[in-house]
Amino acid sequence: MDGGYNSYGGGGGGGFVSGETNSPSGGRSENRDNKTLRPVTVKQIADATQPYPEAPFQIDGAEVNHVLFVGQVRNISSQSTNITYKIDDGTGEIEVKKWVDTATRDSMDTDEKGPGDGKSEVVLNGYARVFGAIKTFSNKRYVGAHSVRPLSNLNELHAHLLESTAVHLFFTRGPPGGAGPGNAAGGDAVMGGADDYSGAGPNKALMGVSPLAKKIYNLLKSETQDDAGMEMQHIASRLSLPTMDVARAGEELLNAGIIFTTMNEHTWAILEY
Amino acid sequence: MSLQTPRILPSHLNSFHPSSAGQRSTHTIRILGTVSSLRGDTATITCGNNGDVTLILKPDSHLQMGKMIEVVGKVADLEGGQGLGVRVLGTTDWGNPADSDYRTYEQVVEATHKFKSIFYDGE
Repeated sequence: MDGGYNSYGGGGGGGFVSGETNSPSGGRSENRDNKTLRPVTVKQIADATQPYPEAPFQIDGAEVNHVLFVGQVRNISSQSTNITYKIDDGTGEIEVKKWVDTATRDSMDTDEKGPGDGKSEVVLNGYARVFGAIKTFSNKRYVGAHSVRPLSNLNELHAHLLESTAVHLFFTRGPPGGAGPGNAAGGDAVMGGADDYSGAGPNKALMGVSPLAKKIYNLLKSETQDDAGMEMQHIASRLSLPTMDVARAGEELLNAGIIFTTMNEHTWAILEY
Repeated sequence: MSLQTPRILPSHLNSFHPSSAGQRSTHTIRILGTVSSLRGDTATITCGNNGDVTLILKPDSHLQMGKMIEVVGKVADLEGGQGLGVRVLGTTDWGNPADSDYRTYEQVVEATHKFKSIFYDGE
């Protein structure tokens, strides 16, 4: 039943499809990109570039809005409107400003020398985890923090540094895997760790494509029996995905020159070269 | 340029010694280990299965035996030609070594030097 509807939408005229372009899934990728929360090192914040003044910052060519990092607190200075921390994570130092919200003033007071509850206290030379946005003020880069909280587990610090490395590699070298079918899922790509990258070498073109396109590539690679390739509907049902999504990802692979059409425009095979 | 303190293991001490690789901008490093002996103005930390490192302490260094500590310091020659050690600038006590996975730290050190562009400026 479900498949029947999809085949109508996918194979039919544009009239049916036009509604789809306004759906959340259509505009999703761009909006989501602007709201990413990326684990980084302080050096990456210092090295972040702006294509033009006031433009969003970029790290490894990817736009970043919110960043997450961990470091040692080298200085705390409390003003009436904000608290400024100097954070050092071994890769550099950066100023972090946390605005004092009157509604949470009670808890903020514990950041100072007062008798805090011992839990939410960020102390000098202790470690802190910061979540905020990169800002500039008179040519000085700082982080406008949404949250600054103490960090007490060493493993969290080390995991963060590895996570930052994994995300850096994701953006500079593409998702891990390409060899193993199990690596296609997007979530695994981020957490996969550095070891998975060795296999990505031969499929340079594949690195730029979406996780779904990769999934289709892997399916074609493992399932294709003859030169005719596989029909779009068949791929959709094998992956239990809407035909629309498969069509879009197929388009991506076609444009990248990774697959080519065979019997008709909806039957694809891997372009071997 | 801001202060950078790359995380290392005992085997890296040589390459961060002031005499080697003259261009290197920093000889200040971070190293993690368990305090295994205290001798007044020096101490020894054990770095997982990667060997020991002698620390040259500051007068106000307060280390406790058996604790996992992170040291920020400079690679230095030990007195009497006993090889390389670390002159302590600061230490952070991470408590019971059982609460921290040293193997994760080894991975961090490997990533630091393999993908150094996001960790430190090197030659």
